[in-house]
Amino acid sequence: MNSRNRKRLRGLSVHLVLMTGVVISVFPFYWIVVMATNTSQDIYRYPPKLWFGDHLLTNIQHLFDRMAFFGSLSNTVIVAVSTTVLVLFFDSLAAFAFAKYDFPGKKFLFGVLLSMYILPTQLAIIPQYEIMVQLGWLGTLKALVVPAAANAFGIFWMRQYTTTSVPDELLDAARIEGAGFFRLYWHVVLPCVRPALAFLGIYTFIAAWNDYILPLVMLVDPSRLTLQVALAQLYAGHSTDYSMVMAGVLLSVIPLVLVFTFFARGFIADATKGALR
Amino acid sequence: MDLSRRRFLQAAVLTAAAAGATAACGGGSASSGAKDSKNLSLWYWSGGLSDKVVGDAKKHFSGISLKTSVVGGDFKTKLLTGLRAAQSAPDITGIKGEDIASFLPNADRFVDLKTVGADKLVPQYLSWKLKQATTQDGKLIGFPIDIGPCATFYREDLFAQAGLPTDPTEVSAQLATWDDYFRAGVELHKAVPKTFLVNNIGSVFTMVVGQGTQRFIDEDGRFIGDQDHIRTAWTTAVKPYTLGIDAKINDNTWNAAVSGGTLGTEIGAAWHALDISNAAPGTKGKWRVASLPGGPSNLGGSFLAVPATSGNPEEAFKIISWILGPENQARGFTDAALFPTAPAAYKLPALTGGDAFFGGQKTIEIFGPAAEKIPTAYEAPADAAVSAPFYSELTSIEAKGKDPDEAWKDAVAQAKQIAQRQGVK
Amino acid sequence: MSSSPVAGPAPTGPTSGTGTGATGRHAPDRPHGPGRRAPRIRPVSAGARRGPRRRVARYWPQYLAISPYYVIFTVFMLFPVLYTVFLAFQKWDGIGDMHFVGFQQFRFLWDDPVFWLSVRNTLVIWVLSTVPMLFMALVLAVLVNSTKRLTAFYRVALFIPSITSLVAVAIFFGAVFSNNFGLINAILRALHLSAVPWMSNEWTIKLVISALMTWQWTGYNAIIYLAGLQAIPSELYEAARMDGAGPVRIFRSITIPLLRPIILFTVVISTVTGLQSFTEPQVLFGSEAATNPNSGGPGQAGLTTLLYFYHQAFDNNDFGYGAAIVWAFFLLILLIVVINWRLVQRKERRS
Repeated sequence: MNSRNRKRLRGLSVHLVLMTGVVISVFPFYWIVVMATNTSQDIYRYPPKLWFGDHLLTNIQHLFDRMAFFGSLSNTVIVAVSTTVLVLFFDSLAAFAFAKYDFPGKKFLFGVLLSMYILPTQLAIIPQYEIMVQLGWLGTLKALVVPAAANAFGIFWMRQYTTTSVPDELLDAARIEGAGFFRLYWHVVLPCVRPALAFLGIYTFIAAWNDYILPLVMLVDPSRLTLQVALAQLYAGHSTDYSMVMAGVLLSVIPLVLVFTFFARGFIADATKGALR
Repeated sequence: MDLSRRRFLQAAVLTAAAAGATAACGGGSASSGAKDSKNLSLWYWSGGLSDKVVGDAKKHFSGISLKTSVVGGDFKTKLLTGLRAAQSAPDITGIKGEDIASFLPNADRFVDLKTVGADKLVPQYLSWKLKQATTQDGKLIGFPIDIGPCATFYREDLFAQAGLPTDPTEVSAQLATWDDYFRAGVELHKAVPKTFLVNNIGSVFTMVVGQGTQRFIDEDGRFIGDQDHIRTAWTTAVKPYTLGIDAKINDNTWNAAVSGGTLGTEIGAAWHALDISNAAPGTKGKWRVASLPGGPSNLGGSFLAVPATSGNPEEAFKIISWILGPENQARGFTDAALFPTAPAAYKLPALTGGDAFFGGQKTIEIFGPAAEKIPTAYEAPADAAVSAPFYSELTSIEAKGKDPDEAWKDAVAQAKQIAQRQGVK
Repeated sequence: MSSSPVAGPAPTGPTSGTGTGATGRHAPDRPHGPGRRAPRIRPVSAGARRGPRRRVARYWPQYLAISPYYVIFTVFMLFPVLYTVFLAFQKWDGIGDMHFVGFQQFRFLWDDPVFWLSVRNTLVIWVLSTVPMLFMALVLAVLVNSTKRLTAFYRVALFIPSITSLVAVAIFFGAVFSNNFGLINAILRALHLSAVPWMSNEWTIKLVISALMTWQWTGYNAIIYLAGLQAIPSELYEAARMDGAGPVRIFRSITIPLLRPIILFTVVISTVTGLQSFTEPQVLFGSEAATNPNSGGPGQAGLTTLLYFYHQAFDNNDFGYGAAIVWAFFLLILLIVVINWRLVQRKERRS
């Protein structure tokens, strides 16, 4: 065996291992489709059916009978979109102030922001629940959106980006034309930080879409649940109709995977940068 | 992703509008001062009421817009949150039988049904069941939906294969004690190896505890979970595990087990029939009902209540009393296996007729006598919380093979601590 | 570890200002005109002596800009966290009156075997998931880094699990590892092995939860490692190869040391998220038993500390005890993170 062959063999085995990893990563999605398109009896039997069936519509029908799917979907969309928009706005604005200005107390305030990043939300959840009771927000989507409307991670991330990629010359030039802080933000900073906003936006959207513990605690009325809570409730209890639940899993996962694969490349590059800072 | 600033601004405005709209839509019945709302909401859980009767109630009360919600998950947790969320509190709500006691200390969160018309109807309903929802100073916070007389559901075909009696009367007679029942289970498992007698030993424990007249806390608020009546229930529950006839099902696969013939019997309340027929429609006609070994027991049996924030308590109770009238209770029995709480219903054809799922058997012949002889026990508000460790430790036996005596000691120790935390003596 | 510079216009750090400093110095003397705005960008101490109040007032737009975060943080995080401390010394059912009970909740906690069981469960699940997860992530990253083909595809495919909803994944794992049906047991049966009751054994329950977490986060960590690997200059490798070092040697003496900060980062993140597992057991063992919801499945084998906290606070409405649990647990997480940090740091110093 000459060295070229050996090299090729090694390359092949690398791809073989990687492909195994890919198959394991992607297999659940295939299997979810298999379960969602067959009947529960098909799922229970041995040997199991390995290929798609034609019961998807019936399963979706059952799903719609059992849960207000579109209501949950629109609640989830409202929460995810409002959270994302608010986070993008508040975080980038605060980041601009932190990145380009030296105001009294800045170091202290930024230090607070960094150190509080580690506090787990569960530590606050009981009083948060009580606060929502007092505000009359318990059971409404506001209880999910408002506490998440600005966060330390986003400000930190946007500050890093604003510091390095908004040229001071550009800011000075605009200032000479008489632009104040907010006009600078709107006309100079926002256009410059779009790539970073895109990452933060997708990140926030995914996190809000997938959030579970807060909606679980805050929401009750079945018509006001988010998808994740509604799905988990379908699954709870010992009499689970698996094909129906899988249809719900399928429908709830599709939008996110589509959004993600569409933006995937840039997102992954940015996600790793966020991690490396 | 290219986010133009105009889009961004539009989105921000839209969001603000959406948040405003959410708030506007959220104006619930609770906020209105006058208690004459025409929009009422009703919360129950899947199988908690007959969907058909509820559907008819919407038509019957044409002047009221009745919005019904089937709440999933832990109903009690959801209800507690709902009661505190002024905007989404229900006007009428179900309360599960095992939870009713824990709501009694907070009776002021509910309307005393006697003030809105229940006082006249009380004599028509089972008094022991009403007592469960009555506070010490005589307020009635819940109106009984159903009771849970317990029985043995068994697979006639599998019993036949194992050479066991198949006729309900014979089964009731020959499997009269728990030991008889377990012995039959051993034979069944020997003849049909994939079939077990009980789904888990917690279910046996529940039944035996329910057969007694005392539970975990006595009426003076003293912890009695370490006494003989509970110890006996524990010992009885562990037997099927030792005999190898416990299917040890503690997860979401009960459905598959029932339809796949893993379970030869199910012990449970009348309403459990609906669980079985929903889980395993393919086994229709193969099941029968016999008396519970060791005597009658009660499990669950729920209530309808009117939260104090209800928009229209008078009308809410009218709806409740209509849904729970004897005729509709009889329909609830055929439709959702809810055993009536108004004895007048017991003579109606819906109850006296045969049930096709049970091969045409007249199940009232089993449930009727069981209902009459149900032992009543005092259930303290903290009862459910204090009993939890016993169930957890029973699953420890099943999951880890933990020594039953050690498990018992641990269960008692934990229960004592929870009792202390909950303010029980 | 500093990453490759972020794409965008020429990076101009805080020190690269040109001339603005000079304008800034004149600013106090010329309150009008274009220079008036200049000090905001680089306010210099010379102008700061005019009295702190005016100085603060001058920066009102900046304070306004950062205020949303601090308002939200104070109302929904700082106050609640402190209030949780207060609650841990009360007995409260969420509806009635509060009673001060001193350290009683913590004494209960110390004596509560279920709490310690939950801590043990959490730690076991964390170790069972983190170790294989980070190891496999490193292997995958090195492999992707060693090839030039299909890398974009590998990145996307490996990353997808981490954006999938945990609820959906938990339901999927529940179905696949089911005792009475399910793909895994079907495969075992096809191989003439006996089926395993995954969901009713103390250890297999933990295995399933760990497998779930491993599946979800291995790719994510691999992508992070990959970014770190790509930042290692290839000359280093070539030099090592010239010296005759084999691939294992190169991996141990170049890759690992240079990757250490990133490994530290992933360890900390996996520790913080791994110890906070809640959704997995909550969904898998939801409200199976009506009498005993959220108890973490058979033998409470899946009862993590956060699930126990949720159960005490929101099922039993024992909010004081819940507060004590969650605080004790937070301190435990901090302790573990600090230990991890020290371990990795010390190794770094040694090497």
